[in-house]
Amino acid sequence: MEFLDAALWAVGMALIGAIAFGLLGLVSGTDETATIAPITLLVILLGVPPAGVFAFFMAAIASKHITHAIPTTLLGIPGDTMAAPLLQDAQMLRELGVPHIALRKAISGGVIAALIAVPLAVLFALVLTPFADAISAVAPWLFLAAAALVAVLSKGRWAALFALVPFVLLVVGLQTFATGVLDKGLTIAFFLGIATGPLIADLFLASSPAGRKLIGRAEQRTFELARDTRTWKGRMPNPLTVLDRKQLGYTATAASISSATFVFSPVAMTVLMGELFGARFKNGYHRLTSRMAIRNGTTESTYIAETLIPLIAIGLPLSPMAASVANPLFNAPPVYTIDAEAGTSNNLHDLLEPWQFLVFGLVAVVIAVLISYPFAMTQAHRAAKWVMRKVSHEAIIGAFAALIVVICLYEGGIVALLVALTVGLVGGMLNRMFNMHTGVQFMGFYVAALTVPAIMALFA
Amino acid sequence: MKRTYLEVWGDTVDGRHLLYSILIGVGLGTPAYLLAAWLFGQAEGIDQTLSKSYALLVGLAACVLTGVVSARLFPPKRILVEADDEPGSRDVAMDSIEQEFGPLGDPDELPAAVLREVKELGIYEDLARQHAKNAAKEVTR
Repeated sequence: MEFLDAALWAVGMALIGAIAFGLLGLVSGTDETATIAPITLLVILLGVPPAGVFAFFMAAIASKHITHAIPTTLLGIPGDTMAAPLLQDAQMLRELGVPHIALRKAISGGVIAALIAVPLAVLFALVLTPFADAISAVAPWLFLAAAALVAVLSKGRWAALFALVPFVLLVVGLQTFATGVLDKGLTIAFFLGIATGPLIADLFLASSPAGRKLIGRAEQRTFELARDTRTWKGRMPNPLTVLDRKQLGYTATAASISSATFVFSPVAMTVLMGELFGARFKNGYHRLTSRMAIRNGTTESTYIAETLIPLIAIGLPLSPMAASVANPLFNAPPVYTIDAEAGTSNNLHDLLEPWQFLVFGLVAVVIAVLISYPFAMTQAHRAAKWVMRKVSHEAIIGAFAALIVVICLYEGGIVALLVALTVGLVGGMLNRMFNMHTGVQFMGFYVAALTVPAIMALFA
Repeated sequence: MKRTYLEVWGDTVDGRHLLYSILIGVGLGTPAYLLAAWLFGQAEGIDQTLSKSYALLVGLAACVLTGVVSARLFPPKRILVEADDEPGSRDVAMDSIEQEFGPLGDPDELPAAVLREVKELGIYEDLARQHAKNAAKEVTR
């Protein structure tokens, strides 16, 4: 009876998550952390049981990473942060006049990878569980190393690495200030600030005469949309026939590998897997289309594995993904809590069994696939055209600005709003001027939260 | 006077319309949340933390609503071109792709399934011509 109850919650919430975030994936620039994290938090605070929360989250990420390929391939604007690594290849296939192929390869790869990643991630988590304590002990240093690695591998190179120092100090300072005023630290405000940094920086530029020269344009931006053609027979597309056997093989391999390497930035893994396995394809056209499948597959598998492994094995948000998008699953006071000093937790790690993660995870991913995949394959062209024609960028930004204000006020009143604004402006400028992308900044936040106290303890 | 635009967050916008959209969003979203928070806080029998979540839900709905209002008031400032395949237009694209990415390769070396895909898409001839062009360049070099 209890299982039936949980299963019903899981199916229902997965349906909601898959539909809501499948639609949101169409809206370009809707960063995962800025959208999935606060809404998952809301679902938790509203009192949805653990199975429902988990299924909602899994369906949301699986679904969004299918439909995010639509604006990316058809319009050439990244659907969200994870879609950014797909952009260059998508652009070239668009110039070749076959954006729909880019789209279909990408989302078919995503479906295959998502279905592989859930069981594999549970398996890897069970293998790692005996080492959970050891992992927690070295976690602060792991985060420091990962932050440095992600920074150096980013386009900002050494500048991004050295800029981590002032950025981390800024976070420490703001956190101390916030704790002093509110008697509690802030999380969402920092994430929102980092995620929307590029927008906030652009808005500041727009309000200064010098900045307006920098971002002023004489012409409207032109987006080219290719014609729609259908490349499969029958009504329902089948991902196993959209990809050829070699593409299937390497997409699955990339998904397996990225399911195990859960401490690295998902964006970095996506780029890496595309390079690594794309190089196995000799023909240029074949390589381009294969990279779409492999890269988008990796966006699914890293997200799934980086959520599941820390959740099952450790209970602390010990991956870039768990630290940002999936953070509410670990830490959503007062419902889910982590006691950093005692090293104890009361979150999904304690509330669900490994087999439940497997079953509800698979159920959620399958529901997301059944809803988003046929939709993206058949309706992509119409949806993209409608958004481009009807929804102005001003409206999206206006709604987003309001979203930032409301969520910040919710977390910590005016103080949270000021923190988000400060982090956003500084982060956005670092991003613009030194290519220190938001992934590096997220790692910086966790260095400030975990590594800095550990360093202080060394000298205490 | 000629109209100018600003490029914000990857797309072009009209500065004035952007300002109004933000004023509408923040100006309506914030009071909606604050009012809801106050009302749910007054209501008896609702848990304190839960009442804040309900208020957040109202606030988020208000944000989406303001987006709809702004979308109706301000049209998009982007040009949408629906591309048609013109013969020859792919040559320029293929050249620029090869500069950035490397040779697109010989379509005849593709496995059967991919070859069929390329032919169905109608880009087989273009790819073959491009390959022949590059091969010819190799010979003369």
